[in-house]
Amino acid sequence: MAQVTLSSGIQTYQKKSAANTLSRLLRYSAVRLVTLFLTVVVGVYLTILIANMGGYVDEILRGEIRENISASVFQNPAYRSYDVEEKKKLAESLIAQEEERLGLNQPFLIRSLSFLKNALTLNFGRALNMTSDSGSRQVSLILLERLPPTLVLFGTSNLLLFFSSVLLALTLSRHYGSWADKLIVALSPTSAAPPWFYGIFLILIFAAWLRVLPFGGMVSAPPPTNPLEYAMDLLVHMILPASALFLSSIFLSIYNWRTFFLIYSSEDYVEMAKAKGLSPRDIERRYILRPTLPTIVTSFALLVISLWTGAIITETVFNWPGLGRTLYRAIGLFDTPVIVASTIIFAYLLAITVFILDFIYALLDPRVKIGSAQ
Amino acid sequence: MSQVGLDHAASIPQQARPILLSVQELQVWFELRRFGFGHAGYVHAVDGVSFDLAEGEAVAIVGESGCGKSSLMKAILGLYKPTSGRILFQGQDIHQFSKERKRWYHSRVGYVQQDPFGALPPFMPVRRILEEPLIISGVKNKNERMERIRKSMEEVKLSPVEDFIEKYPHMLSGGQQQRVVIARAMITEPKLLVADEPVSMLDASVRVEILKLLRALQERHNLSVIYITHDLSTVSYFSERIFVMYAGRLIEKAPVHRLIDHPAHPYTQALLTGTSEPDARNALSYKEVPPGEPPSLVKPPQGCRFHPRCVRMIGGECDVNEPPEFTVADRHTVSCWLYK
Repeated sequence: MAQVTLSSGIQTYQKKSAANTLSRLLRYSAVRLVTLFLTVVVGVYLTILIANMGGYVDEILRGEIRENISASVFQNPAYRSYDVEEKKKLAESLIAQEEERLGLNQPFLIRSLSFLKNALTLNFGRALNMTSDSGSRQVSLILLERLPPTLVLFGTSNLLLFFSSVLLALTLSRHYGSWADKLIVALSPTSAAPPWFYGIFLILIFAAWLRVLPFGGMVSAPPPTNPLEYAMDLLVHMILPASALFLSSIFLSIYNWRTFFLIYSSEDYVEMAKAKGLSPRDIERRYILRPTLPTIVTSFALLVISLWTGAIITETVFNWPGLGRTLYRAIGLFDTPVIVASTIIFAYLLAITVFILDFIYALLDPRVKIGSAQ
Repeated sequence: MSQVGLDHAASIPQQARPILLSVQELQVWFELRRFGFGHAGYVHAVDGVSFDLAEGEAVAIVGESGCGKSSLMKAILGLYKPTSGRILFQGQDIHQFSKERKRWYHSRVGYVQQDPFGALPPFMPVRRILEEPLIISGVKNKNERMERIRKSMEEVKLSPVEDFIEKYPHMLSGGQQQRVVIARAMITEPKLLVADEPVSMLDASVRVEILKLLRALQERHNLSVIYITHDLSTVSYFSERIFVMYAGRLIEKAPVHRLIDHPAHPYTQALLTGTSEPDARNALSYKEVPPGEPPSLVKPPQGCRFHPRCVRMIGGECDVNEPPEFTVADRHTVSCWLYK
C-alpha cells in the first residue's frame, strides 16, 4: 500500500517536473530570442550608420542630383527660350521633386529609422546604382544572383578545409612530437597571410608563368553550353581560388585542432581508458571526439554561415562573381541598400545559429542544462 | 635482487602466498630533445626499481611529487614501455604479451586515480562507465553485465543502485564519484589494484570511508594493492609494507610499523618528522622538512641521490658510489652507506 502511494507520488512528481522543464525551456527561449533580436537591431543600426557614413552619403546623393538636373536643364534645347533665372527656378523645383521622390527631404535620423525597419522586415528595396545581370535594381535579386558562385567556391574549399584539418589534427594529436607534428607547428605561421596574398602568387605562377590555369573569372567567355563541359570549365577556374583559400588557413587550422585534441587526450579518463585496454580508435571516437563535439559543431555551424559573406578581396583578386565582390563594389559605389541587406542576412543567420547551438549543446553535453541559471 | 624474495620467505604468514607481481630492475626513461631534434639526455623517471608483491598484499609507495611514482605506476599498468628491466605478472612479462593476452592483463589490474571527477568521462552515465570495462573484457551477455554492474555498485555502497545508475558524474558528490571509480576498477574482478593517491582530493570526512572501503575490498577479494601516496598518515590504514621512493629509486622497504618506528634512511627520517598524525595537537608543532630541492632526474647526482640534501653524508663514499640494498632487520632493507 505504502509502495503504491509512493510510486504514484513519484509519477505526479515526474509530471510536475516535466511541466517545469517545459515552462523553463519556453521562458528561456523567449528571453534568448528577445536578447538576440535586440543584438541584431543594434548591429544592423550601426551598419546603417556606418554604411551611410553618418548621413554623409545623403549629401553625396543630393550633390549628384543637383549636378545632374542643373546640367540637363541648362543643356536641354527645349528650355533655350528661358532666361537664367527661370532656368534656375525650374532646376530647383525639379531637384526638390527628385529629393522628395527619394525621401532625401527628410532628416537622416528619420531616414535611418525607416532603413532599420525595412532591413529588419527583410524589405531590401532597390539599389541606388547597381543592377543585377538581368538589369533589375531589386537588391534581393542582386544578392541571390551572386549567392551560387560564392557557395560553390567557399562551400567546396571550406568544407574540404574543415574536414581535412579535423581528421589530420586527430591523427597528429596521437603522434605528438613526431616530425609531421613539428612540421605543421613550424608551418602554422604561414596562415598569417590572407588568402588573396597566396592568390596573387598562385596567379603569377600558374596563370602568368606556366599558363596552365586561367587568371580569374568563373567560366570562360563565352561559357560552354554543354553542362558537362560547363562543370569542367568551372572546376578549372575554381582550382586557383580554392587552393588559395585552402593554403592560407590549413596549417593554422590543423595546429588549432591538434592542440585542442591534445588537451582533451591528456584527461585522466583517457589515461584510464588506455589502462582498461581500449583500442586507440575507440579512445579517439568515444573519449576525444565525443567531449569535443560541442566545439566541433559550433565551429562547423559558424563556418557554414560564414559562406554568406564570401571573401571580399579574394573574390576581387580572382574576379570571382560572388557576394564578396558585390559587397566590395557596393561599398565603392555607396550603394547602402546592398550593404545593409548583406549585413542583415548575416546577422539573422548568426542569431538563429547561436540560438539553435544552445539547444544542441544541451543535447550533446549532459552537464549543460538550458535555462538552469535563471 | 633475490634479497627481496628471501625477505618474503622469512616472514611466516607470507610464506604461503605466491608472488603476483614482480618488478625487476625496472627503468623508465624519457628522451629529451633540444629544439625538437637534437638529443639532450634522458629523464630518469624510474631508475632501477625492483620489488615483489605477493597475492593479497598491500604496499604503499611514498615519495615527494616528481620522484617517479606515477611513471612506475604507469609502467605497471602497461601504459609506459620500460626502457629496460621487466615486470612479471604471475611470472609472465607484461610487455611481451600478445594483444589478446594484454586485454586479459588490463582486466586483471584495476586503476584508481587521484581526481575522481577527472577520472570519469563527463558525458557518460554511471551505467556506461561501468559497462565499458566489461565489454572490453568480453562479457557479451547484456543481462550478465547489468547484474555485475549492480553487484559492484552495491559492493562500493552506491545503493540503492537505481538512484545512481543513470546519473552523470557531475551529479554525484566527490565521495560518490570516487566510489564509481573504485567500482569501475573492481568490476572486472582484478587481482591487483593500483591506487594513485585515491583520497588526496577528497574531503577529510570522506577520506576515512574510502580508505575503509578499499581495505574491505582488499580483504574480501584477496586483492594485491599498490597504494601510491605522498601522505604517510593514511598509509597505515591498509598497507603492510612501505616503499620509500626517491629520485626514481626505492631507497627503503620495510613493514609499515617498523618503518614508522625505526626509519633507517635519513630521507625517510626527514619525511617522517615532516608528517603529522591527523591530530589537532600537531597543527602548531614545527615540522622539519628535508632541506633543498628534489634532484634533477635528467642528471641525477652521482653516488647516493640523496647526498646533496643529506645531513649525515659520508664524504668520499656517498657522493661517489651508489649504495646497494642493506638489510637492517627482518624484511627491512635500505639503500644507504650508513648501514654498510
